[in-house]
Amino acid sequence: MEPVIQFEDVVKIYPLKAGDVTALDHISFSVERGEFISIMGPSGSGKSTLLTLMGCLDTPTSGNIFMSGIPIRNMSDVDLTNLRRDRIGFIFQYFNLFPLLNIIENVSFPQMLKSGHGVDEDKAREVLRAVQLDERLFTHTPLELSGGQQQRVAVARALINDPDILLCDEPTGNLDSKTGASIMELMTELNRKGSTIIVVTHDPNVANYTSRTIRIVDGCIAS
Amino acid sequence: MIFWEIAKRNIRIHMLRSTLAMLGIVIGVVAIASMGILGNSMVATVSESLSSVGDSVIVTPYAGGGGGMGPGGGSSGSSSASLKLTDQNYQQIKRVSAPNTAIPVYSTSDHMKIGVGSDDIVASIYGLPSEDVPDLMKLEAGDYNNGNSGCLVGSTFAKDHDLKVGSRISIGNDGSKGTLRVTGIIEERGMSFDISTDNALVVTDEWFEDTYNRNKDYDEVVVKVKDGDTATVKTNIEKQLNKHKDNKIVSVTDSKATLNSIYATFGTITTFVSAIGGISMIVAGVSIFNIMMMSVNERIKEIGIMRSIGTQKKEVMSMFIYEAAIIGVIGSIIGGLFSILAGYVVSALMLGSTKYLVTAANALSVTEGILFGIIICLACGIYPAWQAANLNPIDALRHE
Repeated sequence: MEPVIQFEDVVKIYPLKAGDVTALDHISFSVERGEFISIMGPSGSGKSTLLTLMGCLDTPTSGNIFMSGIPIRNMSDVDLTNLRRDRIGFIFQYFNLFPLLNIIENVSFPQMLKSGHGVDEDKAREVLRAVQLDERLFTHTPLELSGGQQQRVAVARALINDPDILLCDEPTGNLDSKTGASIMELMTELNRKGSTIIVVTHDPNVANYTSRTIRIVDGCIAS
Repeated sequence: MIFWEIAKRNIRIHMLRSTLAMLGIVIGVVAIASMGILGNSMVATVSESLSSVGDSVIVTPYAGGGGGMGPGGGSSGSSSASLKLTDQNYQQIKRVSAPNTAIPVYSTSDHMKIGVGSDDIVASIYGLPSEDVPDLMKLEAGDYNNGNSGCLVGSTFAKDHDLKVGSRISIGNDGSKGTLRVTGIIEERGMSFDISTDNALVVTDEWFEDTYNRNKDYDEVVVKVKDGDTATVKTNIEKQLNKHKDNKIVSVTDSKATLNSIYATFGTITTFVSAIGGISMIVAGVSIFNIMMMSVNERIKEIGIMRSIGTQKKEVMSMFIYEAAIIGVIGSIIGGLFSILAGYVVSALMLGSTKYLVTAANALSVTEGILFGIIICLACGIYPAWQAANLNPIDALRHE
């Protein structure tokens, strides 16, 4: 079976006035379907750049990236956007829910983008139940929820289009340790059910939940 | 669609800001549409005064220069007053104008007294063949059959001097030229190109000839054109009487062409005044632009999240365009409604009448104002929407 993500000799250089900055330097690795991986490294090591490339928010300067076997290097903005919508689920440190929409609408948002139709309430409720959010909160707005509850909603939103992979950027970074642990247990449960998950984190406790850790130092894979 | 819903909710949570933006559009639409209504009402008012003379061709003796209007009633003493149209000229005009009616007109002004002991006044007197009078004017009281000692008086003249059918007017100093009895009051004709009867007397041509020693030497000839083709009649008369370029006999005025020129001038004034109103719309547009830019800047992170989870650029753009469109449509429709009220007030104050408020031209002015408001809003929303759509999703996500 093809890897979900495959990096082949990927280089990412940011051209700056003061001189080019090499954020990723000849990186190669692959993520198999069903894996639960953490990416760790110090600040400025290239973790965020790696996340943006895995999330198809940017393209490499050289080398190739394959998403489920599809090369992304020469894709148009429209195709990359569709790829993000259909195959990738994002979970952010600060939850990043839309304050103007209620919980059901927030969760349905990617599904509405994909279908071009209105809210599929049944599907949204099903996913929200899967992330164990209290049903009474479904019609509330994000600001009426606690951090842990908001992150569960963010997870539900990431799952709604049945993506190939979940990309999590410090998913517990804005939560207390108990709530963070419950979110990581939810991730573990999702992985057990078949989801491929990559977590970018500073926190070794988070990394302990994953089956493999990729360490980045100065734009290169250290281990 | 979800972006329409987000646009609506964003307007709702920033209600004060959105209302102020709408207010700008309301003012802009009111300024444009009410000026249009005022202009249209002015044209309609003038049309009412002039339309009855739009079927005339006026022939006067050529006085050199650019021809021009007829001598009217107050021409005595002017250099052109000595110029007359001969009976031969009249017969030629009559022949080439057939089957239209050519009416020979005498005109002068004279002293007169109304009643014993009244002040001496000066007014215009027209002499017309009795049978042609009904072709030129309508009566509001009395009848046309005035006989040789009867006269018709203009409505303003009658009102100013308290004249009724049966009243008597002594003509000349101390009544030296006889007394006329009022047999009819002429309906108000307003401004006209042929003869101005509102402040004048109309007598028979026989009385005029006897009193002022005139013998078929006319001051002007008015041709009433039945089929409306005044241009052809004018051309025919000029061809017949002004055969030699260096020896022109008559000046011919096509009242319809003059009317059209007046209407065109009013149209230009209306456009100019509406354009001044348009300045307020431009100001409103700048306000919309400003608000939309604020909206984009406040929502950079939200745009970044949307783009990262699969929202296309055109969908982000549509969300901001919807926002501008909602403000534009609501503001413009409210402005359109208020402009009817403003048009009513302005017409009442400036023209003294609102009877031309409900017309197709005014409906068009209001519709144009509304459409202009919507177009300005959309145009001012395009750049902020484009900027939002083209934000780098990575930079937008990092925005605090």
